[in-house]
Amino acid sequence: MTISPATRISKLALLTLSLAAVGPLMAAPAAAPSPQAAIAARQAGFKKMGAAMKALNDQLKTDAPAKAALASAAQTLTMTARAQPALFPAGSGPAAGVRTDALPDIWTQRTVFDGQMARMIAETGKLVNVVNSGDVDAIRVQAKATGATCGACHRQFRADN
Amino acid sequence: MATLASAPTEPIHMRIWDIYIRLFHWLLVGLLAFSWWSGRQHEMEWHRLSGYAILTLLIFRLYWGFFGGRTARFSQFVRGPRAAIAYLRSLRQRPYKAAAGHNPVGGWSVLLMLSTLTAMVTAGLFAVDVDGIESGPLADYVSFDQGRAAAELHGLLLNLVLALVGLHLFAILFYRLGLRHDLIGPMIHGRRAKGAGETADHLGASPWKALVGLLFAATCTYAIAQGFRL
Repeated sequence: MTISPATRISKLALLTLSLAAVGPLMAAPAAAPSPQAAIAARQAGFKKMGAAMKALNDQLKTDAPAKAALASAAQTLTMTARAQPALFPAGSGPAAGVRTDALPDIWTQRTVFDGQMARMIAETGKLVNVVNSGDVDAIRVQAKATGATCGACHRQFRADN
Repeated sequence: MATLASAPTEPIHMRIWDIYIRLFHWLLVGLLAFSWWSGRQHEMEWHRLSGYAILTLLIFRLYWGFFGGRTARFSQFVRGPRAAIAYLRSLRQRPYKAAAGHNPVGGWSVLLMLSTLTAMVTAGLFAVDVDGIESGPLADYVSFDQGRAAAELHGLLLNLVLALVGLHLFAILFYRLGLRHDLIGPMIHGRRAKGAGETADHLGASPWKALVGLLFAATCTYAIAQGFRL
């Protein structure tokens, strides 16, 4: 089994904790997943998902979508989706001092937000299964359902600009 | 009674805008407003359709600039900078003497608006939203990053369009209040009062040529909307 990005993040967190303990003895703890680093990581993840979603939809626009391209896009979506929830630590909102469209509501309505994240993971997982089934019409429906999950969460928790 | 009815006076009005130019103008006003609203509301199905309608209008206008009525033709209203400066100087003279169509400065304003709108529509054709879900009809010819850049450009050009619309409205107000010259009425009914020494020639706008232009514009737009997968 490969290490999923989510586990990698928690390992990083552990490492940071231990680093923080010896912090005064060390130079700047470069490995710390600071709010800024979390923001950069989740933005890169969402960007990857956006590109995968586009690749998927580009294929679905054609009469004969390429199965390999669909499968690879769906795989990227579900793998990246699973890593995203851990990348919203407290303090990584607009107050972090770097550009982020994440709204403060993410942290004040954390359970709602976590529910949306779980939905994203569920829908992208379903997408992989439907793509494997090979039924193009069903893939179109599931691609739309997945996109709707993105949109619903963004309307609620992302600044619109 | 006899004195009133008999004199075979010259016509007091002259046509300056053909019906196709006026339709183009007012449809564009409505569609720009609708595009803005639908874009804001993320009504992307409507936004795309509105963009296609604007694209059809722009292609038609380009065609009409060569085959349209006299005042619609680029050859009639695209003038050099010297003519534009001379026109600006002439604005100090009273009474104001209107041009028979676009004046040399207005001509540049028309070109600027048409090219800005064309650039904006073109950027929209390639644009991709941040989620990779909604996109223009040609977005699958470019990468996600290029599509995002097109979307950003689309948004930036909106500011330029809004600025040009503002300038346009300001100019209309200036002509109305400063020069006592109405620009809105003629754009509705196509006529204005004929000045001394002006002739009331026909504009020579052919309905057949307009129909050909419309079919041409609609065909081009259809092909683009299908992403050239015909």
